[in-house]
Amino acid sequence: MAPPRSQPSSAFASRELNGEVLLDELNELRQGQVPQRPLDECARALQKLSGPTSKCAATVRQLASERFAQYPALVSLLRRWATRLKTDADGPLLAAHFERLAISAAVINSLRAASAGLPRSRR
Amino acid sequence: MTVISKEAEAQLARWPSRARTLFTELLDDAATVLQRELLQRAVAAEHTPNEVHAFADQLRGMADDEAFVACTLDEDAPADYTVTQLLRAESDPLYAFELKGGTLEPADDEPPLLPVKRSESIANLRRVTASFVADSTDADPATRASQVDLPVVKVPGSSSTGLFEAQLREATRAHGVSWAESELDVPNGMSLEAAVAAGATVLGDGLPVAMAIGPAAGKSARLIIALQISTSGRTRAWQLFDPISSELVWANERDLLSRNELPFNDKYFRRVTRIALPSRRRTAF
Repeated sequence: MAPPRSQPSSAFASRELNGEVLLDELNELRQGQVPQRPLDECARALQKLSGPTSKCAATVRQLASERFAQYPALVSLLRRWATRLKTDADGPLLAAHFERLAISAAVINSLRAASAGLPRSRR
Repeated sequence: MTVISKEAEAQLARWPSRARTLFTELLDDAATVLQRELLQRAVAAEHTPNEVHAFADQLRGMADDEAFVACTLDEDAPADYTVTQLLRAESDPLYAFELKGGTLEPADDEPPLLPVKRSESIANLRRVTASFVADSTDADPATRASQVDLPVVKVPGSSSTGLFEAQLREATRAHGVSWAESELDVPNGMSLEAAVAAGATVLGDGLPVAMAIGPAAGKSARLIIALQISTSGRTRAWQLFDPISSELVWANERDLLSRNELPFNDKYFRRVTRIALPSRRRTAF
């Protein structure tokens, strides 16, 4: 039975959506050599996601096949999420997830870079 | 010749020599005393060379009255600004500029998802500066002689020597996110309890929190990110990720507050020593 339309579907209700799932996705994007800027642009493009599920899914697929087609790892991720959109509550949650994905990627890169300035001695 | 403030000089001392030289050229090329003052204040506020150069690019096309309006919060504006934002905007013209919706052009190159090496940052700076064309003329002597008297205000609890705030700010500018870093449990710093309470609110709003951990207060040894928070009854847990060891753990909030042990494999890291709290600016580009 489909969940009530106002409730997010299971993929978006997972406790690990913005934890393990997010880190796995970041790993995929890194291995796919996706730079930060298209990820930022993708997150911003998804902010406009609204309306019925079918329309949201079509928008996500269109972004994958047109605007970000040159980044296969990002295309794969977008298409995967397009298939997971089941209720009207999912669109805004997908937008929020991609925003967090992009910001987390930027933060993690910054922290790795800033780590070089920390003392190595443990005394 | 431009007189550099002590605060700006202290920051410039940390810049690579090439960046310092380029900043001197930027000051010489600034059209007015006000522009030079705003640039100095941006340096004193610990912005990176890239940010200061991009800021100079924005200022160059403005008359003094435009620049003043762009970098100063109006008296009737504070309706939806926080006190921290207002205080910081008083002393940091670049922050005020962005808070009011101003945007800095990002570097031409796309930063990769992989860590950026310091040498690449400098190369980026060189590229930005190389594109600079000195199209401004010096102001008349009367304008030069005038004093720009903007107050210097330090945000309570904020760190004067941020470990990662400037890099975070630059990295997340595209999302309209700014950061405030504080050292914890040190004189004039923030208490761990206050940091945890503020961090939980931010995480609940969907933004990650950056933190430093170490063996004791004042001894930051590793930088980590808090990804999300989970509440069950009265218990709150933080999901923490260490980008160096790639460990992802859930930490009970009581353990964070105990200052005694963290759930990472390496038990050298006993407590949180710093926190960088994000906030959303009004406008992202």
